[in-house]
Amino acid sequence: MAHWFHRNPLKATAPVSFNFYGVAGSPAANKICNDLRTTRARLLEMFTDLTCNPEIMKNATDAYFSLLQGFIISLDGSTQENKMRFIQNFKWTDTLQGNTPSAQQDAVFELVSMAFNVAIWYTKFASRLAGKENITEAEAKDVHRSLKVAAGIFKNLKEVHIPRLITPAEKGRDLEPRVIDAYIIQCQAEAQEVTIARAIELKHNATLIAALAFETANFYQKADHTLNTLEPECSSKWRKYLQLKQHFYMAYAYCYHGQTLLASDKCGEAIRSLQEAEKCYSRAEALCKEYRQTKGPGSTAKPSEQLFFLKLGGLIKNTLEKCQRENGFIYFHKVPAEPPQLELKASYGLAEPVAFELPALSEQCTPEVYATFDLTKGAKNDKAKPKQEEEVKPVKEPDLKPQKDTGCVIS
Amino acid sequence: PNIPEGLPGDKSTNRDGVLVDEFGLPQIPAT
Repeated sequence: MAHWFHRNPLKATAPVSFNFYGVAGSPAANKICNDLRTTRARLLEMFTDLTCNPEIMKNATDAYFSLLQGFIISLDGSTQENKMRFIQNFKWTDTLQGNTPSAQQDAVFELVSMAFNVAIWYTKFASRLAGKENITEAEAKDVHRSLKVAAGIFKNLKEVHIPRLITPAEKGRDLEPRVIDAYIIQCQAEAQEVTIARAIELKHNATLIAALAFETANFYQKADHTLNTLEPECSSKWRKYLQLKQHFYMAYAYCYHGQTLLASDKCGEAIRSLQEAEKCYSRAEALCKEYRQTKGPGSTAKPSEQLFFLKLGGLIKNTLEKCQRENGFIYFHKVPAEPPQLELKASYGLAEPVAFELPALSEQCTPEVYATFDLTKGAKNDKAKPKQEEEVKPVKEPDLKPQKDTGCVIS
Repeated sequence: PNIPEGLPGDKSTNRDGVLVDEFGLPQIPAT
């Protein structure tokens, strides 16, 4: 089953030369600076390289972060801040704020911004793979894992690294808790979508599917509520997506709950549950249209015309007709006015973030080499040669449109 | 002995001790 996920754009950054003039006072120190420049440039390239996979991404990320940590963690055995932490200015745009960058002269800001983009890349990789027409089990596992890895990165940044920033993130920027929380929850919900599709395919029981769909709908609702105090112009489109998915999975939950009710001879309640599923589905359909018409960051798509969406509509219709038929022949139950209460707790299929760990410090970064960085020399040269302001160009991203899903299966 | 299929850690159990797959679904569908 092909999936469709909304994606915000990648963060963009200005190139960084790590050219510290007189500061790097030894060949080994110079090599660290050169390697920082090249590993950073390579990692940035990987974000838009269509051939990049999680293994390549992990290697590129580790290569850069193992060196960057030499500017963050204490190397001289003291509890003081690393002397190199504040030497370089870094500029990054935000996923919701267009081309206006934030800048901080702090290696921790660079670490969290870059890692944030790595997480976004994992979500985009998952989205590309999940949009394929006939996704294999191995690919579904990759999608599921990539989304959990992304959630783990966001979570780790929020809990461990962002609190270390001296300048807190401004409202609506990627590093503020509301935005990062929404990303974490969205990743978990999307991973669960993959699990729901698999549960249906493997014919797991309706109770399990209904419970997981209900929890997934609640995740989407939570993510949407997290964003409700942000400026509408940057968050509306994203929120429409979260809302449409919430209603879509509520429709799933009522549809499968209806099947459970029918199986236990509660036909009237089953009909009412299916009617509620129809209502949620119609609301999701309306939200799909609103999503398309809403301007904002992210891709344009027609989710309500895709197979994953249409399939559920057909399933609800058929199940409701079946219930009504059986009620007319066998049960003759009265259909209640109120929909059944969904108090479903999922015991299976909830997606937990994969713990993210930074790589070990590069072997190049020894206390001896570190001692050859002399900040006093750099200050003079800085005055003599004012740095040129580097522009932050938006990232040219590869096409993320899912492949056309025809629903045809070649057997 | 036969060559083992799959990777170690492919299968685990949930908190109720039920064998689950990588997606956290029961190994044996309970329909």
